[in-house]
Amino acid sequence: MKPIKWLWFGLALAASPSLADTSFPPEQVEQGRYLAQAGDCVACHTAPGGKEFVGGLGIDTPIGRIYSTNITPDAKYGIGSYSYDEFERAVRKGVAKDGHALYPAMPFPSYAMVSDADMKALYAFFMSGVEANATPNRASDIIWPLSIRWPLRIWARIYGNSREFKPDPSHDAAWNRGAYLVEGLGHCGSCHTPRGIGFQEKAMSPQDGVNYLAGAKIDNWFAKSLRGEQASGLGAWTEEELAQFLKSGRTSRSAVFASMAEVVDHSTQYLSQDDLAAIAHFLKSLPPADGTPPVATKSADSFTNLRNGDYQQSGAAAYVEFCAACHRLDGNGAPRIYPALSGNSAVNSGDTTSLIRIVLAGGRMPATASEPHPLAMPGFPKLTDQEVADILSFVRSNWSNHAEAVKAGQVGKVRAALEQR
Amino acid sequence: MFAALIEEKTMRSIFTMAMAGLMLVGLPAAVSAAEPETAAIPFRAPRDADIFKEPNAAQILLGKRLLSDTKHLLPENVGDGLNCTSCHLGEGKVPLASPYVGVSTNFPAYAARAGKEIDLAQRINGCFLRSENGKAVPPDSPEMKAMLAYFQWLSAGMGPKTRVEGRGAGKVDTSLVPDPVKGKAIYETRCASCHGDNGEGVKDVRGEFIFPPLWGDESFNIGAGMARTYTAAAFVKNNMPVAWGTNAPLGQGGALTDQEAVDVAEYFTHQPRPDFPAKVKDWPNGGKPKDARY
Repeated sequence: MKPIKWLWFGLALAASPSLADTSFPPEQVEQGRYLAQAGDCVACHTAPGGKEFVGGLGIDTPIGRIYSTNITPDAKYGIGSYSYDEFERAVRKGVAKDGHALYPAMPFPSYAMVSDADMKALYAFFMSGVEANATPNRASDIIWPLSIRWPLRIWARIYGNSREFKPDPSHDAAWNRGAYLVEGLGHCGSCHTPRGIGFQEKAMSPQDGVNYLAGAKIDNWFAKSLRGEQASGLGAWTEEELAQFLKSGRTSRSAVFASMAEVVDHSTQYLSQDDLAAIAHFLKSLPPADGTPPVATKSADSFTNLRNGDYQQSGAAAYVEFCAACHRLDGNGAPRIYPALSGNSAVNSGDTTSLIRIVLAGGRMPATASEPHPLAMPGFPKLTDQEVADILSFVRSNWSNHAEAVKAGQVGKVRAALEQR
Repeated sequence: MFAALIEEKTMRSIFTMAMAGLMLVGLPAAVSAAEPETAAIPFRAPRDADIFKEPNAAQILLGKRLLSDTKHLLPENVGDGLNCTSCHLGEGKVPLASPYVGVSTNFPAYAARAGKEIDLAQRINGCFLRSENGKAVPPDSPEMKAMLAYFQWLSAGMGPKTRVEGRGAGKVDTSLVPDPVKGKAIYETRCASCHGDNGEGVKDVRGEFIFPPLWGDESFNIGAGMARTYTAAAFVKNNMPVAWGTNAPLGQGGALTDQEAVDVAEYFTHQPRPDFPAKVKDWPNGGKPKDARY
């Protein structure tokens, strides 16, 4: 941002107390649009099939369902009457214009570290780059007295520390840019960092320890570890692959699925190559959470056995019957079309929730500019718990995989959770 | 050997119909002219794990493997780069993906393309000669017997001439006029990422096809049912791409409208591909479909 523009912005601020109709420099609005994409605001603030930023998406919390709010610049129902200070307080501190505390489904503890310049650009975008929409907010389904909001302020005081991003001089500029995006707007930890007893993320940055981005169960998925574990984390990924994954939703060996497919769809595919490279650079610097990782070894036997019709191993016959058409006998899939299962960090994850869920219910890749076909994984709800467990145990212990077996009971739990939805 | 070859040529003509029919409209279509249609039973296929309960499990298993890993296991018989499973998806156990389920109960049968009655081995060899642009598998060989055993296992418990729902690959309206120019554009945007910019398919590190070639020297010849526009269109409509939806088992099909399927089928079927010299014997008694390539 050039200084002259900021001067203009400052003048505008001074000249017009009601900012909803203030015009902002187009560059600033565009910058804000980009940052809003980096923050993936649209993901939560849009109802399924609804207009962007109008809110209304149901979000289940431990105490009941809440609904995301209208953040279009409508003066009555949206945030059109918010001053910059009020906007900044809501985004960084989780306090609405009227003083009520936001539920921490809004990742304000992460957004707290967004720079002033970026926050102002976001404000410019939400005030003038988004179409106002007069849709009222929907009240939460949380019943009284749990619906009382003031305890949230205590929560925010304990866990929503105001944080300023301070570049770490021991790392290069790309690392620091990556840290800024991942810890801040990207709020990757909202899904990928385990939560503590107060529903707070156990770590907000690498300095907080090995819980940071160590993988977490959320909404009947397991958001995998983004740390350096060889088999189940990002240890086997290159920075180039990570950037490619975030840009297109695919690499030659993997494909995005579950909620992350939406993140790629709405957010990361729009990030610049520099920012994606920075994110990848930062993530690859996170050491494994579990100390010394097991080194994956190659096993050529799995392929040879399957090809020779040796189905003695439990789950082998069913793998050939249901999975091999796409993932192939060598577990390598088809580059950029069908993900490889051999060496796949999601396959080798310690928590098998996502793995079980995608077999039972299927999944879909996003359509991105570079990969326009939104391919899907079929669901196999008719397979029994034992069959799914056998197939997954087979997949997790063949080719280059060495993960623990899956038990029928684990499959049953995920199936029950899915049926309750 | 020579005699066998001649006989094969005759058989070939027979299959044509069955083949075209079989491949797409399904076997029963070939029969339907002669016999009244009976009600189709719901599609059902046994699980692979059940193979091991059979007294001839080894034979059935070999048959299954031959039909899935054909090029690798029968290199002398496959002249192009295809496997049976390239057209008969998911081990022949997927509705509308030219399944094998119920097929054996409908043979022997009269086939208009051949102009006579053919048995299942002859029908299978129709595929080896045309779709796989290769050589027939001897009817009394262990390999052919294994393939027949797999077919029979898939139809176990079904009476003669059983019609199964989801046979063949479904139908498209043959009155739709194909537009190969639009078809080319559809191919480039919707198909090429798997089948290659020039229909050459995609190979793995071992040099084996992951996605089959749709034209060129390694693809099916003009005598194949898949070389026919409406046959190919029905297959494409109901089966391409695999992994388009979350429907088990393959998430296949449903990406194109009937018209788009006809357009793209017209385009790729008419690209250069091997000839089929024995084509002159096809449809000896007439009845050649309008999309036959010769």
